Amino acid sequence: MIRPSSLIKRISLVFLLGGVLYFFIISFTDFKEIYNSAGKDFFLLNGLLDTGSRNLVTAIYLDYRLFDSLFEAGILLIAVSGVMWVSEHKITEKNANFMLDKQKTPELFITFSRLLYPVMLLFGMYVVINGHISPGGGFQGGAIIATAILILYYIDIRKTIEVNLILTIEKFLFLFLFTIAFISYFTRGEFFTNFIPSSMGMDAQVFYLYLLNILIGAKVSLGLIAIFTAFLKEGR
Amino acid sequence: MNPILSFVVILIGVYGLATSRNIIKSVFCVTIIESATILLFLNLGAYEGGLVPILTELGIEIVDPLPQALMITTIVIGSTITSLALMLCIKIFHHYGSIEWKVILRGDK
Repeated sequence: MIRPSSLIKRISLVFLLGGVLYFFIISFTDFKEIYNSAGKDFFLLNGLLDTGSRNLVTAIYLDYRLFDSLFEAGILLIAVSGVMWVSEHKITEKNANFMLDKQKTPELFITFSRLLYPVMLLFGMYVVINGHISPGGGFQGGAIIATAILILYYIDIRKTIEVNLILTIEKFLFLFLFTIAFISYFTRGEFFTNFIPSSMGMDAQVFYLYLLNILIGAKVSLGLIAIFTAFLKEGR
Repeated sequence: MNPILSFVVILIGVYGLATSRNIIKSVFCVTIIESATILLFLNLGAYEGGLVPILTELGIEIVDPLPQALMITTIVIGSTITSLALMLCIKIFHHYGSIEWKVILRGDK
């Protein structure tokens, strides 16, 4: 039941949003002149030679715009720390009873989880390592690895994960990531790019892409595992 | 036409934020806005017949890789921010005994 005063507010809100949409459509007509394909052509011409990555999306977020990815990793770290801090999760506590009930989980689910778990883990690692030549990369592969490890909760409820250790590893991974991004100042004289000079050829540059993809994958997967564990322990 | 539809979805999220009485619904509205923003950005560089930006052979027509690289970070950030908001919702429920905006803004315990 909606009161009349509330109804008037809602109708005026709809008209306001309609006005915003009208201005968006008006400003969108000359959009084709503002947005052009110059950036796309640049990446198509120089992307492979500059970075050694066949996947241009990986080339952008690991080389051209590495600064963005670094601060994205920082936001991930801050959000995970925030979830840990807000939740009443005692870090010293080890064998917490989880929300999942062994009696209610179907036996079929447990059996298939056992079968699927190694395959998912392998697939996640494949996606992380082949991030520069095929669709994938650190972010997607990290999410797959986190899902594979979280399936362990279905297999054995008494499994525990030390969240304190995970947070510490994640902080060191972030520092390591920042250091690797900084090395390029000493080897090439530029901040936040590939530290292997492009004169050494594409095969050498791929090493850097492997390293950063693995680091980002580890960071994302550890963060997601820590968040999920915090929610499980909150639901006791 | 497609970017305008994405913008309509963003406005639906804003309407939901303004009118929802439940905290969890507000969190979902933020998620709707975020998903619509991802759609909007992915539409910018895409066109019919464009291939994925992976250079498997020479002379292929690709879509713009820059919006995709920006959105890949947005997805990860969005998931973590949503989880932080939901964890705060749990804490608010433990403190006030309710997740209705009215009860919380009144300040009862």
